[in-house]
Amino acid sequence: MARRVPVARRALFQDRRRAALATGGVAAALLLVLLLDGIVAGGMRQVTAYLRSSPADVIVSQDSVRTMHMSVSALPPDSVDAVRDVDGVAWAEGLRFASSTITTATGRQLSYVFGYDPAGRLGPERLTAGRVPRPGEALVDEVAAERLGVSVDSKVQVFGQSFVVSGLFDDGTSMINTTTFITTGDYARLRGPSVAYVFAGAESGVSPDVLVDRLATALPETTVQTRGRFVHEEAAIVGDMAADLMQIMSIVGFLIGLAVIGLTLFTLTLAKLREHAVVKALGSRNRRVGVIVLTQAVWSVALALAVATVLALLIGGLVADVAPSLLVAIEPASVIRAGVGALVVGALGSLVPLRRVFKVDPATAFRRAS
Amino acid sequence: MTTVVSVHDLTKTYGTGALAVDAVRHVDLDIDAGEVVLVMGPSGSGKTTLLLMLGAMLRPTSGSVHVDGTDVATARERELPPLRARRFGFVFQDFNLLSALDALENVELACNLAGVTGRVARHRATDLLTRFGLGNRLHFRPDQLSGGEKQRVAIARALANDAPVILADEPTANLDSSHGRDIARVLRKLATEDGRSVVIVSHDQRLKEIADRVLWLEDGQFRELTAMATDPVCEMAVETGDGIHVEHDGAVLWFCSPYCRDEFLAHPARFIIDAEAAAPATEERW
Repeated sequence: MARRVPVARRALFQDRRRAALATGGVAAALLLVLLLDGIVAGGMRQVTAYLRSSPADVIVSQDSVRTMHMSVSALPPDSVDAVRDVDGVAWAEGLRFASSTITTATGRQLSYVFGYDPAGRLGPERLTAGRVPRPGEALVDEVAAERLGVSVDSKVQVFGQSFVVSGLFDDGTSMINTTTFITTGDYARLRGPSVAYVFAGAESGVSPDVLVDRLATALPETTVQTRGRFVHEEAAIVGDMAADLMQIMSIVGFLIGLAVIGLTLFTLTLAKLREHAVVKALGSRNRRVGVIVLTQAVWSVALALAVATVLALLIGGLVADVAPSLLVAIEPASVIRAGVGALVVGALGSLVPLRRVFKVDPATAFRRAS
Repeated sequence: MTTVVSVHDLTKTYGTGALAVDAVRHVDLDIDAGEVVLVMGPSGSGKTTLLLMLGAMLRPTSGSVHVDGTDVATARERELPPLRARRFGFVFQDFNLLSALDALENVELACNLAGVTGRVARHRATDLLTRFGLGNRLHFRPDQLSGGEKQRVAIARALANDAPVILADEPTANLDSSHGRDIARVLRKLATEDGRSVVIVSHDQRLKEIADRVLWLEDGQFRELTAMATDPVCEMAVETGDGIHVEHDGAVLWFCSPYCRDEFLAHPARFIIDAEAAAPATEERW
């Protein structure tokens, strides 16, 4: 396409201070939306970190229980053997689970407490210090440990009992809570013999979906899901909890953006009304002057989105250093959503200016400038 | 001579009923190729209204304006912008250059509107500006140019679409005498060398020197041009005869209004009295 004079861009950036203010205003609004989205996405990642890193293909829980968060699941102690006996299951391990708190002399922290077999597959993905627990010992997430002022060999209270910290691991703390591992024997001694979930791996050549069907048939009083499905359900519950807040804050963010874009384009259009009349007098159709205004809206939105995305990424990095339990995950889908929303806002903000330029009389160009 | 614009029985009425005002009344006018037509007249006489109708920016109440086979009075609304973009070049009193664009882009924009884009448009704009002595000002924005330079850019822009008709509204009004004469010469050359028709609406007496025809518009109608003089206060062209005048130092001075006369009488020394202007001007008839 042959080059045309970029009237829209030239006019928009003629007054750099105004352009910077407009871009900054819209970027601030989009930054709010992106950060909120990033906090929720980060929360989802943190909450599902343990599940995503698990080697299991299938997870069995109490009937109608589909998540760990905000749920209580109890299966009979022989459930692990029952799962293991199903054709196509390569391995099965029980995980005992409850929401509780861990406490020290200086503080307390909400925590998922897992009872697991340290020789099995359900421990944390990576230890950053120490070793796996023996009876009377616990694994604590390093972020929670720092917050509680404990380290390896320190003592913490779990279920009201004293445990020695045998090791630390990472990726176990979210903005909501942390995770603590004790041996399955200690857990059973303190909370009873039932297991909460059974994690199972499929034999080679058996798909997780097929295994789900077989387990559901063999264990009718349970809920069987693939790990992927379980992760999705877990993330959805966090999303649902944050949905109302997100919606309100996003609307606020987009309204601020709408106001800034609308005012910017309106003042710019008013300032350039005579020039629009001149362009019309020189033979421009309404369509072309309309394109000028819309192009200015697109430029404002695109620049603001770029600025907001860069700032969100920088702030996300900064937050990771200052508050390790808070993960701000700026995902491409979030940026695209904010961009689409901003384009809609830009289009809405252009309506009044468009009306003004459509109505401007080309004969205005012949009136004396005041 | 080829007639480029043909105006017949043209009338423009603003308002209705008792409030109706005829800005232009039953005007007939043919403009030939290569001709410079100067339309003069007092403020409010209908000059700009006539120019707007000639330039397809204002629909007449009755009558016709034929340009290039199209009657502006009856053309559909969507036909008017392309007609303006291809058949007319406009020169404004206030220059009306787009402040965000440099000289080259201002001219190139007019090329774009006429359907010429890319390198061709850029070359044409460069050639035009160079022709008007602005080859070293291509990338200057309007606020970096003098008044005379701005008007030359505006004239280059008016030629960007290779229009056969140039419509100029007070093209010298915001210029000093030197730049005004410069612009007048440029407009004359557009007619003589390029064969374009140039219609100028102005109060500037100096433009009579370059005009092939001078028309006097008053109360919306062309009238016979009587002896003219220049108001020493506002420098407008004014009719002599029964007009407002005073005798000063043995010369008769003519004024456009009692206000200019009173201002002059309050401080005569403030106004340089040009003996030539004070005396009745040459008789011009059309």
